[in-house]
Amino acid sequence: MSLLEAARLDTIERWMQAVVMHPDGAARGIGSKAARRLLPQAAAKLESVVLPSKSLSSLERLDIYAYMYYARLLEILNAEYPTTRLILGDETFRRACRRFVQRNPSTHRTLNRLSDKFPDFLSRHLPPGNRRGLAVDVARIERAMEDVFDAPRAEPLTAAQFAAIGTDQWHRVRLRVIPALRLLRLRFPANDYMNAARSGGKPRVPRPRATFAIVYRRGFQVYRRDQAPAQFKLLAALAAGRTLADAVRSGISGGGGSSDKLATRLGAWFREWSAAGLFCGTTGGKP
Amino acid sequence: MSSFSLPNRWNLPDLGLGVGLRTQHFRHITERWPAMDWFEILSENFIETEGRPLYFLDQIAERYPIVMHGVSLSVGSTDPVDFEFLDKLAALAKRVKAVWLGDHICWTGVAGLNGHDLYPVPYTEEGLRHMVSRVRTIQDYLERPLVLENPSTYLTFASSSMPEEEFIARLAVEADCALLLDVNNVYVTCRNHDLDPVAYLDAIPYEHVVQVHLAGHTDNGTHCIDTHDGRVIDEVWKLYARVHEKTGGRATLLEWDANVPKFPVLQQEVGKAARFRDAARLARPVAA
Repeated sequence: MSLLEAARLDTIERWMQAVVMHPDGAARGIGSKAARRLLPQAAAKLESVVLPSKSLSSLERLDIYAYMYYARLLEILNAEYPTTRLILGDETFRRACRRFVQRNPSTHRTLNRLSDKFPDFLSRHLPPGNRRGLAVDVARIERAMEDVFDAPRAEPLTAAQFAAIGTDQWHRVRLRVIPALRLLRLRFPANDYMNAARSGGKPRVPRPRATFAIVYRRGFQVYRRDQAPAQFKLLAALAAGRTLADAVRSGISGGGGSSDKLATRLGAWFREWSAAGLFCGTTGGKP
Repeated sequence: MSSFSLPNRWNLPDLGLGVGLRTQHFRHITERWPAMDWFEILSENFIETEGRPLYFLDQIAERYPIVMHGVSLSVGSTDPVDFEFLDKLAALAKRVKAVWLGDHICWTGVAGLNGHDLYPVPYTEEGLRHMVSRVRTIQDYLERPLVLENPSTYLTFASSSMPEEEFIARLAVEADCALLLDVNNVYVTCRNHDLDPVAYLDAIPYEHVVQVHLAGHTDNGTHCIDTHDGRVIDEVWKLYARVHEKTGGRATLLEWDANVPKFPVLQQEVGKAARFRDAARLARPVAA
Protein backbone atom coordinates (compact mmCIF):
# COMPACT_ATOMS: atom_id res chain seq x y z
CA MET A 1 0.00 0.00 0.00
CA SER A 2 1.36 3.42 -0.91
CA LEU A 3 1.80 6.08 1.73
CA LEU A 4 -0.99 8.07 0.11
CA GLU A 5 -3.41 5.14 0.35
CA ALA A 6 -2.43 4.46 3.96
CA ALA A 7 -3.06 8.08 4.75
CA ARG A 8 -6.52 7.85 3.25
CA LEU A 9 -7.64 5.03 5.50
CA ASP A 10 -5.94 6.54 8.52
CA THR A 11 -7.57 9.90 7.80
CA ILE A 12 -11.03 8.41 7.54
CA GLU A 13 -10.60 6.51 10.79
CA ARG A 14 -9.27 9.56 12.65
CA TRP A 15 -12.07 11.66 11.23
CA MET A 16 -14.80 9.22 12.23
CA GLN A 17 -13.31 8.87 15.69
CA ALA A 18 -13.19 12.64 16.14
CA VAL A 19 -16.84 12.86 15.07
CA VAL A 20 -18.34 10.02 17.12
CA MET A 21 -16.35 10.85 20.27
CA HIS A 22 -17.32 14.51 20.20
CA PRO A 23 -19.15 15.29 23.46
CA ASP A 24 -21.85 17.36 21.76
CA GLY A 25 -22.83 14.80 19.13
CA ALA A 26 -21.89 14.02 15.57
CA ALA A 27 -23.09 17.31 14.04
CA ARG A 28 -20.78 19.34 16.27
CA GLY A 29 -18.10 16.74 15.73
CA ILE A 30 -18.20 17.16 11.96
CA GLY A 31 -17.77 20.90 12.40
CA SER A 32 -15.01 20.57 14.99
CA LYS A 33 -11.54 21.84 14.25
CA ALA A 34 -10.05 18.33 14.50
CA ALA A 35 -12.54 16.83 12.03
CA ARG A 36 -12.36 19.75 9.58
CA ARG A 37 -8.57 19.53 9.53
CA LEU A 38 -8.80 15.85 8.55
CA LEU A 39 -11.68 15.93 6.06
CA PRO A 40 -12.76 19.47 5.28
CA GLN A 41 -15.09 18.23 2.51
CA ALA A 42 -17.21 16.42 5.11
CA ALA A 43 -18.13 19.68 6.81
CA ALA A 44 -19.19 21.15 3.47
CA LYS A 45 -20.95 18.05 2.12
CA LEU A 46 -21.20 15.11 4.51
CA GLU A 47 -22.67 12.87 1.79
CA SER A 48 -19.29 12.96 0.03
CA VAL A 49 -17.88 10.91 2.93
CA VAL A 50 -20.86 9.00 4.41
CA LEU A 51 -23.77 7.92 2.22
CA PRO A 52 -27.36 8.34 3.38
CA SER A 53 -29.67 5.31 3.40
CA LYS A 54 -33.27 5.29 2.20
CA SER A 55 -34.49 6.19 5.67
CA LEU A 56 -31.58 7.91 7.44
CA SER A 57 -29.44 10.89 6.52
CA SER A 58 -25.66 10.69 6.63
CA LEU A 59 -25.66 12.61 9.90
CA GLU A 60 -28.27 10.33 11.49
CA ARG A 61 -26.16 7.32 10.57
CA LEU A 62 -23.06 8.81 12.22
CA ASP A 63 -25.16 9.79 15.23
CA ILE A 64 -25.90 6.11 15.90
CA TYR A 65 -22.20 5.55 16.62
CA ALA A 66 -21.86 8.85 18.50
CA TYR A 67 -24.78 7.96 20.76
CA MET A 68 -23.54 4.45 21.41
CA TYR A 69 -20.03 5.65 22.31
CA TYR A 70 -21.21 7.68 25.30
CA ALA A 71 -24.07 5.35 26.18
CA ARG A 72 -21.75 2.36 26.48
CA LEU A 73 -19.12 4.11 28.60
CA LEU A 74 -21.68 5.81 30.84
CA GLU A 75 -23.31 2.44 31.42
CA ILE A 76 -19.95 1.17 32.72
CA LEU A 77 -19.56 4.15 35.08
CA ASN A 78 -23.14 3.76 36.29
CA ALA A 79 -22.45 0.15 37.19
CA GLU A 80 -19.14 0.91 38.93
CA TYR A 81 -20.24 3.97 40.97
CA PRO A 82 -23.81 3.39 42.23
CA THR A 83 -23.34 5.18 45.58
CA THR A 84 -21.42 8.07 44.06
CA ARG A 85 -24.39 8.52 41.71
CA LEU A 86 -26.78 8.44 44.66
CA ILE A 87 -24.85 11.23 46.38
CA LEU A 88 -24.58 13.46 43.32
CA GLY A 89 -28.00 12.77 41.84
CA ASP A 90 -28.58 11.29 38.39
CA GLU A 91 -28.18 14.47 36.36
CA THR A 92 -25.00 15.78 38.04
CA PHE A 93 -23.50 12.31 37.88
CA ARG A 94 -24.36 11.93 34.19
CA ARG A 95 -22.82 15.30 33.34
CA ALA A 96 -19.68 14.47 35.32
CA CYS A 97 -19.38 11.12 33.55
CA ARG A 98 -19.70 12.69 30.10
CA ARG A 99 -17.04 15.27 30.90
CA PHE A 100 -14.81 12.58 32.37
CA VAL A 101 -15.09 10.34 29.31
CA GLN A 102 -14.53 13.35 27.06
CA ARG A 103 -11.30 14.24 28.85
CA ASN A 104 -10.19 10.70 29.61
CA PRO A 105 -11.05 8.56 26.59
CA SER A 106 -10.28 4.88 26.92
CA THR A 107 -6.79 3.84 25.88
CA HIS A 108 -7.12 0.21 26.96
CA ARG A 109 -8.33 -2.90 25.20
CA THR A 110 -10.56 -3.75 28.15
CA LEU A 111 -12.90 -1.50 30.11
CA ASN A 112 -11.41 -2.49 33.48
CA ARG A 113 -9.29 0.64 33.74
CA LEU A 114 -11.68 3.13 32.17
CA SER A 115 -12.45 4.91 35.43
CA ASP A 116 -9.04 4.79 37.13
CA LYS A 117 -8.94 8.59 37.30
CA PHE A 118 -12.62 9.17 38.02
CA PRO A 119 -12.31 9.92 41.78
CA ASP A 120 -9.53 12.45 41.11
CA PHE A 121 -11.58 13.97 38.31
CA LEU A 122 -14.53 14.45 40.66
CA SER A 123 -12.31 16.12 43.24
CA ARG A 124 -11.15 18.65 40.65
CA HIS A 125 -14.40 19.31 38.82
CA LEU A 126 -17.26 19.21 41.30
CA PRO A 127 -18.20 22.35 43.23
CA PRO A 128 -16.55 22.41 46.68
CA GLY A 129 -18.51 21.33 49.74
CA ASN A 130 -19.37 18.32 51.82
CA ARG A 131 -21.27 16.66 48.99
CA ARG A 132 -18.16 16.72 46.82
CA GLY A 133 -15.98 15.50 49.69
CA LEU A 134 -18.24 12.55 50.40
CA ALA A 135 -18.69 11.74 46.71
CA VAL A 136 -14.93 11.67 46.15
CA ASP A 137 -14.35 9.40 49.15
CA VAL A 138 -17.14 7.02 48.12
CA ALA A 139 -15.83 7.04 44.55
CA ARG A 140 -12.38 6.08 45.87
CA ILE A 141 -13.88 3.11 47.68
CA GLU A 142 -15.93 2.08 44.66
CA ARG A 143 -12.87 2.34 42.42
CA ALA A 144 -10.83 0.30 44.92
CA MET A 145 -13.55 -2.37 44.84
CA GLU A 146 -13.09 -2.62 41.06
CA ASP A 147 -9.31 -2.81 41.47
CA VAL A 148 -9.31 -5.61 44.01
CA PHE A 149 -11.97 -7.51 42.07
CA ASP A 150 -9.45 -7.92 39.24
CA ALA A 151 -6.21 -8.02 41.27
CA PRO A 152 -3.89 -11.02 41.03
CA ARG A 153 -4.58 -13.98 43.30
CA ALA A 154 -2.29 -14.81 46.19
CA GLU A 155 -2.49 -17.59 48.74
CA PRO A 156 -2.90 -16.01 52.19
CA LEU A 157 -0.67 -16.97 55.10
CA THR A 158 -2.28 -19.61 57.28
CA ALA A 159 -2.79 -19.04 61.01
CA ALA A 160 -0.06 -21.58 61.68
CA GLN A 161 2.39 -19.80 59.37
CA PHE A 162 1.52 -16.56 61.06
CA ALA A 163 1.96 -17.96 64.55
CA ALA A 164 5.34 -19.38 63.59
CA ILE A 165 6.85 -15.88 63.31
CA GLY A 166 8.52 -15.53 66.69
CA THR A 167 8.92 -12.12 68.35
CA ASP A 168 12.69 -12.62 68.08
CA GLN A 169 12.28 -12.28 64.27
CA TRP A 170 10.21 -9.11 64.30
CA HIS A 171 13.18 -6.82 63.75
CA ARG A 172 13.93 -8.42 60.38
CA VAL A 173 10.69 -10.00 59.12
CA ARG A 174 8.53 -8.14 56.62
CA LEU A 175 5.00 -9.24 55.80
CA ARG A 176 3.84 -9.18 52.18
CA VAL A 177 0.29 -7.93 51.75
CA ILE A 178 -1.95 -9.48 49.10
CA PRO A 179 -2.24 -7.63 45.76
CA ALA A 180 -6.01 -7.37 46.33
CA LEU A 181 -5.75 -4.88 49.20
CA ARG A 182 -6.21 -1.10 49.09
CA LEU A 183 -5.76 1.28 52.03
CA LEU A 184 -7.69 4.54 51.90
CA ARG A 185 -7.39 7.60 54.14
CA LEU A 186 -10.73 9.35 53.85
CA ARG A 187 -12.12 12.71 54.96
CA PHE A 188 -15.65 11.43 55.47
CA PRO A 189 -17.30 8.34 57.01
CA ALA A 190 -17.78 7.01 53.52
CA ASN A 191 -18.03 3.35 54.48
CA ASP A 192 -20.82 4.10 56.95
CA TYR A 193 -22.61 6.09 54.27
CA MET A 194 -22.33 3.20 51.80
CA ASN A 195 -23.72 0.79 54.38
CA ALA A 196 -26.65 3.10 55.05
CA ALA A 197 -27.26 3.56 51.33
CA ARG A 198 -27.23 -0.17 50.79
CA SER A 199 -29.96 -0.48 53.42
CA GLY A 200 -32.20 1.65 51.22
CA GLY A 201 -33.15 5.30 50.98
CA LYS A 202 -30.82 8.24 50.58
CA PRO A 203 -28.89 9.03 53.77
CA ARG A 204 -28.03 12.65 54.59
CA VAL A 205 -24.57 13.87 53.68
CA PRO A 206 -22.57 13.54 56.92
CA ARG A 207 -20.16 16.11 58.35
CA PRO A 208 -16.46 15.56 57.66
CA ARG A 209 -14.76 13.01 59.91
CA ALA A 210 -11.47 11.31 59.12
CA THR A 211 -11.87 7.58 58.55
CA PHE A 212 -9.46 4.84 57.51
CA ALA A 213 -10.78 2.16 55.23
CA ILE A 214 -9.43 -1.02 53.73
CA VAL A 215 -10.85 -2.71 50.66
CA TYR A 216 -9.79 -6.28 49.92
CA ARG A 217 -10.75 -9.50 48.26
CA ARG A 218 -11.00 -12.73 50.21
CA GLY A 219 -11.47 -15.65 47.86
CA PHE A 220 -13.64 -14.05 45.19
CA GLN A 221 -15.66 -11.80 47.46
CA VAL A 222 -14.82 -8.09 47.83
CA TYR A 223 -15.01 -6.52 51.31
CA ARG A 224 -14.59 -3.00 52.72
CA ARG A 225 -14.26 -2.02 56.35
CA ASP A 226 -12.97 0.78 58.54
CA GLN A 227 -9.88 0.51 60.70
CA ALA A 228 -8.91 2.30 63.90
CA PRO A 229 -6.35 5.04 63.16
CA ALA A 230 -3.42 3.24 64.84
CA GLN A 231 -4.47 -0.04 63.26
CA PHE A 232 -4.50 1.57 59.81
CA LYS A 233 -1.11 3.18 60.45
CA LEU A 234 0.40 -0.16 61.36
CA LEU A 235 -1.10 -1.91 58.34
CA ALA A 236 0.09 0.91 56.05
CA ALA A 237 3.62 0.55 57.45
CA LEU A 238 3.53 -3.20 56.82
CA ALA A 239 2.20 -2.66 53.30
CA ALA A 240 5.06 -0.20 52.71
CA GLY A 241 7.53 -2.99 53.45
CA ARG A 242 8.70 -2.03 56.92
CA THR A 243 9.78 -4.77 59.34
CA LEU A 244 7.23 -5.98 61.87
CA ALA A 245 9.12 -4.23 64.68
CA ASP A 246 9.32 -0.91 62.80
CA ALA A 247 5.69 -1.11 61.73
CA VAL A 248 4.48 -1.84 65.25
CA ARG A 249 6.49 1.10 66.59
CA SER A 250 4.95 3.39 63.98
CA GLY A 251 1.47 2.12 64.69
CA ILE A 252 1.57 2.55 68.45
CA SER A 253 3.73 5.65 68.82
CA GLY A 254 1.98 8.09 71.10
CA GLY A 255 -0.82 5.62 71.76
CA GLY A 256 -0.04 5.26 75.45
CA GLY A 257 -1.51 2.46 77.55
CA SER A 258 0.04 -0.49 79.32
CA SER A 259 2.10 -3.09 77.51
CA ASP A 260 -0.59 -5.69 78.31
CA LYS A 261 -3.27 -3.59 76.64
CA LEU A 262 -0.96 -2.97 73.74
CA ALA A 263 -0.31 -6.66 73.29
CA THR A 264 -4.04 -7.33 73.41
CA ARG A 265 -4.73 -4.72 70.75
CA LEU A 266 -1.97 -5.98 68.49
CA GLY A 267 -3.15 -9.54 68.90
CA ALA A 268 -6.71 -8.58 67.96
CA TRP A 269 -5.57 -6.62 64.92
CA PHE A 270 -3.35 -9.37 63.58
CA ARG A 271 -6.07 -11.96 64.14
CA GLU A 272 -8.49 -9.77 62.21
CA TRP A 273 -6.05 -9.28 59.34
CA SER A 274 -5.09 -12.93 59.31
CA ALA A 275 -8.74 -13.99 59.17
CA ALA A 276 -9.24 -11.55 56.31
CA GLY A 277 -6.27 -13.10 54.52
CA LEU A 278 -4.43 -9.81 54.04
CA PHE A 279 -0.90 -11.28 54.15
CA CYS A 280 0.50 -13.69 51.61
CA GLY A 281 4.11 -14.18 52.64
CA THR A 282 7.12 -12.99 54.54
CA THR A 283 10.62 -11.91 53.70
CA GLY A 284 13.65 -11.69 55.95
CA GLY A 285 12.64 -14.50 58.33
CA LYS A 286 14.30 -17.80 59.03
CA PRO A 287 14.73 -19.94 55.93
CA MET B 1 -32.04 -34.33 7.26
CA SER B 2 -29.37 -33.99 4.63
CA SER B 3 -26.02 -35.70 5.20
CA PHE B 4 -24.28 -33.07 3.10
CA SER B 5 -21.34 -31.47 4.87
CA LEU B 6 -18.92 -28.92 3.47
CA PRO B 7 -15.60 -29.14 5.32
CA ASN B 8 -13.90 -25.94 6.37
CA ARG B 9 -10.34 -25.14 5.33
CA TRP B 10 -8.88 -26.05 8.72
CA ASN B 11 -11.03 -29.05 9.58
CA LEU B 12 -12.13 -27.20 12.70
CA PRO B 13 -14.91 -29.14 14.39
CA ASP B 14 -18.62 -28.47 14.27
CA LEU B 15 -19.00 -27.90 18.01
CA GLY B 16 -22.78 -28.12 17.90
CA LEU B 17 -24.95 -25.59 19.72
CA GLY B 18 -23.56 -23.12 22.24
CA VAL B 19 -24.29 -19.88 24.03
CA GLY B 20 -22.24 -16.90 25.13
CA LEU B 21 -20.95 -17.36 28.68
CA ARG B 22 -22.30 -14.53 30.86
CA THR B 23 -21.67 -13.75 34.53
CA GLN B 24 -25.37 -14.11 35.39
CA HIS B 25 -25.13 -17.83 34.63
CA PHE B 26 -21.83 -18.72 36.33
CA ARG B 27 -23.49 -20.24 39.39
CA HIS B 28 -26.20 -22.06 37.45
CA ILE B 29 -23.62 -23.64 35.16
CA THR B 30 -21.13 -24.66 37.85
CA GLU B 31 -23.83 -26.05 40.14
CA ARG B 32 -25.90 -27.90 37.55
CA TRP B 33 -23.55 -28.48 34.61
CA PRO B 34 -26.44 -28.08 32.17
CA ALA B 35 -26.63 -29.63 28.74
CA MET B 36 -24.76 -27.35 26.34
CA ASP B 37 -22.31 -28.31 23.60
CA TRP B 38 -19.91 -25.41 24.09
CA PHE B 39 -19.48 -21.84 25.34
CA GLU B 40 -18.12 -18.71 23.74
CA ILE B 41 -16.42 -16.15 25.96
CA LEU B 42 -15.85 -12.46 25.41
CA SER B 43 -12.05 -12.52 25.55
CA GLU B 44 -11.64 -9.07 27.09
CA ASN B 45 -13.75 -10.04 30.13
CA PHE B 46 -11.14 -12.58 31.17
CA ILE B 47 -7.82 -10.86 30.56
CA GLU B 48 -6.27 -8.38 32.97
CA THR B 49 -8.25 -10.00 35.77
CA GLU B 50 -7.66 -12.83 38.20
CA GLY B 51 -10.94 -12.46 40.03
CA ARG B 52 -14.24 -14.27 40.10
CA PRO B 53 -14.85 -14.50 36.32
CA LEU B 54 -11.62 -16.41 35.76
CA TYR B 55 -12.34 -18.66 38.73
CA PHE B 56 -15.61 -19.76 37.13
CA LEU B 57 -14.18 -19.93 33.63
CA ASP B 58 -11.44 -22.31 34.77
CA GLN B 59 -14.07 -24.72 36.06
CA ILE B 60 -16.29 -24.40 33.01
CA ALA B 61 -13.36 -24.88 30.62
CA GLU B 62 -12.68 -28.23 32.30
CA ARG B 63 -16.03 -29.57 31.12
CA TYR B 64 -17.05 -27.71 27.96
CA PRO B 65 -15.21 -26.63 24.80
CA ILE B 66 -14.46 -22.89 24.89
CA VAL B 67 -14.21 -20.48 21.96
CA MET B 68 -12.72 -17.00 22.42
CA HIS B 69 -14.43 -14.10 20.71
CA GLY B 70 -13.09 -10.58 21.19
CA VAL B 71 -14.08 -7.01 20.52
CA SER B 72 -10.79 -5.08 20.79
CA LEU B 73 -8.39 -6.63 18.32
CA SER B 74 -9.15 -3.79 15.92
CA VAL B 75 -7.88 -5.56 12.80
CA GLY B 76 -8.94 -2.65 10.61
CA SER B 77 -7.15 0.05 12.61
CA THR B 78 -4.18 1.91 11.19
CA ASP B 79 -2.50 1.87 14.61
CA PRO B 80 0.39 -0.59 15.03
CA VAL B 81 -0.56 -4.17 15.93
CA ASP B 82 -0.64 -4.53 19.72
CA PHE B 83 1.54 -7.60 20.26
CA GLU B 84 1.29 -7.30 24.04
CA PHE B 85 -2.47 -7.74 23.70
CA LEU B 86 -1.92 -10.72 21.41
CA ASP B 87 0.28 -12.28 24.10
CA LYS B 88 -2.56 -11.90 26.60
CA LEU B 89 -5.03 -13.49 24.18
CA ALA B 90 -2.62 -16.34 23.51
CA ALA B 91 -2.12 -16.94 27.24
CA LEU B 92 -5.87 -17.07 27.84
CA ALA B 93 -6.35 -19.35 24.82
CA LYS B 94 -3.77 -21.73 26.26
CA ARG B 95 -5.34 -21.60 29.71
CA VAL B 96 -8.86 -22.47 28.55
CA LYS B 97 -7.72 -24.65 25.63
CA ALA B 98 -9.69 -22.43 23.26
CA VAL B 99 -10.82 -24.36 20.20
CA TRP B 100 -10.38 -21.15 18.21
CA LEU B 101 -10.24 -17.42 18.76
CA GLY B 102 -11.43 -14.46 16.82
CA ASP B 103 -12.82 -10.96 16.67
CA HIS B 104 -14.62 -8.71 14.18
CA ILE B 105 -13.99 -7.24 10.74
CA CYS B 106 -13.80 -3.68 11.98
CA TRP B 107 -11.67 -1.17 13.80
CA THR B 108 -12.33 -0.01 17.37
CA GLY B 109 -10.03 2.97 17.71
CA VAL B 110 -7.05 4.82 16.31
CA ALA B 111 -4.32 7.11 17.62
CA GLY B 112 -4.11 5.04 20.79
CA LEU B 113 -7.77 5.43 21.75
CA ASN B 114 -10.46 2.78 22.02
CA GLY B 115 -14.10 3.58 21.31
CA HIS B 116 -15.18 0.08 22.44
CA ASP B 117 -17.43 -0.19 19.42
CA LEU B 118 -17.19 -1.99 16.09
CA TYR B 119 -16.55 0.70 13.49
CA PRO B 120 -16.78 -0.14 9.78
CA VAL B 121 -13.89 0.34 7.38
CA PRO B 122 -14.34 1.76 3.89
CA TYR B 123 -14.71 -1.25 1.59
CA THR B 124 -11.93 -0.22 -0.77
CA GLU B 125 -8.95 -1.97 -2.36
CA GLU B 126 -6.60 -0.16 -0.02
CA GLY B 127 -8.73 -0.99 3.00
CA LEU B 128 -8.73 -4.62 1.95
CA ARG B 129 -4.96 -4.74 1.46
CA HIS B 130 -4.47 -3.11 4.83
CA MET B 131 -6.70 -5.59 6.62
CA VAL B 132 -5.30 -8.62 4.77
CA SER B 133 -1.82 -7.60 5.84
CA ARG B 134 -2.88 -7.09 9.47
CA VAL B 135 -4.75 -10.37 9.67
CA ARG B 136 -1.79 -12.26 8.23
CA THR B 137 0.54 -10.63 10.74
CA ILE B 138 -1.73 -11.53 13.64
CA GLN B 139 -2.24 -15.09 12.44
CA ASP B 140 1.48 -15.59 11.97
CA TYR B 141 2.12 -14.31 15.48
CA LEU B 142 -0.61 -16.40 17.10
CA GLU B 143 0.18 -19.38 14.86
CA ARG B 144 -3.49 -20.13 14.33
CA PRO B 145 -6.26 -18.90 12.04
CA LEU B 146 -8.26 -15.91 13.19
CA VAL B 147 -12.02 -16.35 13.09
CA LEU B 148 -13.43 -12.99 12.03
CA GLU B 149 -17.05 -11.92 12.23
CA ASN B 150 -19.07 -9.67 9.95
CA PRO B 151 -20.24 -6.81 12.20
CA SER B 152 -23.57 -5.02 12.14
CA THR B 153 -22.95 -1.72 10.41
CA TYR B 154 -24.93 1.49 10.42
CA LEU B 155 -23.21 3.59 7.77
CA THR B 156 -21.57 3.26 4.36
CA PHE B 157 -18.52 5.25 3.32
CA ALA B 158 -18.88 6.99 -0.01
CA SER B 159 -15.41 5.79 -0.95
CA SER B 160 -16.40 2.11 -0.71
CA SER B 161 -15.86 0.46 -4.07
CA MET B 162 -17.27 -3.00 -3.32
CA PRO B 163 -20.15 -4.42 -1.29
CA GLU B 164 -19.46 -5.63 2.22
CA GLU B 165 -19.92 -9.30 1.34
CA GLU B 166 -17.34 -9.06 -1.43
CA PHE B 167 -14.90 -7.36 0.92
CA ILE B 168 -15.40 -10.12 3.48
CA ALA B 169 -15.10 -12.90 0.92
CA ARG B 170 -11.88 -11.49 -0.49
CA LEU B 171 -10.49 -10.87 3.00
CA ALA B 172 -11.13 -14.49 3.95
CA VAL B 173 -9.48 -15.85 0.81
CA GLU B 174 -6.56 -13.41 0.56
CA ALA B 175 -5.68 -13.45 4.28
CA ASP B 176 -6.61 -17.14 4.53
CA CYS B 177 -8.58 -16.46 7.69
CA ALA B 178 -11.68 -18.16 9.01
CA LEU B 179 -15.10 -16.54 9.18
CA LEU B 180 -17.73 -16.32 11.86
CA LEU B 181 -20.91 -15.64 9.96
CA ASP B 182 -23.34 -13.71 12.15
CA VAL B 183 -26.66 -14.15 10.38
CA ASN B 184 -28.35 -11.60 12.64
CA ASN B 185 -25.67 -9.08 11.63
CA VAL B 186 -26.31 -9.95 7.98
CA TYR B 187 -29.98 -9.17 8.52
CA VAL B 188 -29.29 -5.93 10.45
CA THR B 189 -26.68 -4.71 7.97
CA CYS B 190 -28.86 -5.48 4.97
CA ARG B 191 -31.82 -3.68 6.54
CA ASN B 192 -29.62 -0.67 7.30
CA HIS B 193 -28.12 -0.53 3.82
CA ASP B 194 -31.14 -1.63 1.77
CA LEU B 195 -29.38 -4.82 0.64
CA ASP B 196 -30.59 -8.34 -0.13
CA PRO B 197 -29.49 -10.69 2.69
CA VAL B 198 -29.80 -13.75 0.48
CA ALA B 199 -27.44 -12.26 -2.10
CA TYR B 200 -25.11 -11.37 0.78
CA LEU B 201 -25.10 -14.96 2.05
CA ASP B 202 -24.60 -16.36 -1.44
CA ALA B 203 -21.35 -14.38 -1.80
CA ILE B 204 -19.73 -15.92 1.29
CA PRO B 205 -16.96 -18.52 0.78
CA TYR B 206 -18.37 -21.24 3.06
CA GLU B 207 -15.20 -23.31 3.17
CA HIS B 208 -13.87 -20.44 5.34
CA VAL B 209 -16.89 -20.35 7.66
CA VAL B 210 -16.32 -22.24 10.93
CA GLN B 211 -18.95 -20.67 13.17
CA VAL B 212 -22.37 -19.03 13.01
CA HIS B 213 -23.88 -16.47 15.38
CA LEU B 214 -27.56 -16.01 16.14
CA ALA B 215 -29.00 -13.12 18.16
CA GLY B 216 -31.89 -10.77 18.59
CA HIS B 217 -31.89 -7.12 17.58
CA THR B 218 -33.95 -3.95 17.96
CA ASP B 219 -35.93 -2.78 14.96
CA ASN B 220 -36.38 0.98 15.10
CA GLY B 221 -38.31 1.10 11.85
CA THR B 222 -35.84 3.36 10.08
CA HIS B 223 -32.92 1.11 11.05
CA CYS B 224 -32.00 -1.91 13.16
CA ILE B 225 -29.54 -2.01 16.07
CA ASP B 226 -27.68 -5.18 17.02
CA THR B 227 -28.71 -5.22 20.69
CA HIS B 228 -28.57 -8.95 21.54
CA ASP B 229 -31.52 -8.43 23.84
CA GLY B 230 -34.12 -10.91 22.73
CA ARG B 231 -35.12 -13.92 20.71
CA VAL B 232 -34.03 -14.61 17.15
CA ILE B 233 -36.65 -13.42 14.67
CA ASP B 234 -38.08 -15.69 11.97
CA GLU B 235 -36.33 -13.88 9.12
CA VAL B 236 -32.97 -14.58 10.77
CA TRP B 237 -33.88 -18.24 11.26
CA LYS B 238 -34.58 -18.41 7.52
CA LEU B 239 -31.11 -17.02 6.84
CA TYR B 240 -29.66 -19.57 9.25
CA ALA B 241 -31.44 -22.33 7.36
CA ARG B 242 -29.84 -21.11 4.15
CA VAL B 243 -26.37 -21.16 5.76
CA HIS B 244 -27.04 -24.68 6.96
CA GLU B 245 -27.99 -25.75 3.46
CA LYS B 246 -24.70 -24.42 2.19
CA THR B 247 -22.50 -25.91 4.90
CA GLY B 248 -24.28 -28.95 6.26
CA GLY B 249 -23.65 -27.67 9.77
CA ARG B 250 -21.39 -25.25 11.56
CA ALA B 251 -20.76 -24.55 15.24
CA THR B 252 -23.72 -22.34 16.14
CA LEU B 253 -23.89 -19.86 18.99
CA LEU B 254 -26.67 -17.76 20.47
CA GLU B 255 -25.70 -14.31 21.81
CA TRP B 256 -27.93 -12.70 24.44
CA ASP B 257 -26.23 -9.81 26.26
CA ALA B 258 -28.96 -7.42 27.43
CA ASN B 259 -32.06 -8.30 29.44
CA VAL B 260 -30.30 -11.62 29.93
CA PRO B 261 -32.84 -14.35 30.75
CA LYS B 262 -32.41 -17.43 32.91
CA PHE B 263 -30.18 -20.10 31.44
CA PRO B 264 -32.99 -22.49 30.43
CA VAL B 265 -34.39 -19.80 28.14
CA LEU B 266 -31.05 -19.67 26.34
CA GLN B 267 -31.02 -23.45 26.05
CA GLN B 268 -34.50 -23.39 24.59
CA GLU B 269 -33.71 -20.61 22.11
CA VAL B 270 -30.45 -22.04 20.79
CA GLY B 271 -32.12 -25.46 20.77
CA LYS B 272 -34.39 -24.19 18.00
CA ALA B 273 -31.37 -24.45 15.71
CA ALA B 274 -31.47 -28.20 16.17
CA ARG B 275 -34.37 -28.46 13.73
CA PHE B 276 -31.95 -27.41 11.00
CA ARG B 277 -29.24 -29.78 12.11
CA ASP B 278 -28.61 -33.50 12.31
CA ALA B 279 -27.77 -33.33 16.01
CA ALA B 280 -31.20 -33.05 17.55
CA ARG B 281 -30.30 -32.19 21.13
CA LEU B 282 -27.71 -30.48 23.24
CA ALA B 283 -24.97 -32.64 24.67
CA ARG B 284 -24.08 -33.15 28.30
CA PRO B 285 -20.69 -31.82 29.42
CA VAL B 286 -17.76 -34.18 29.73
CA ALA B 287 -16.99 -35.47 33.21
CA ALA B 288 -14.48 -33.31 35.09
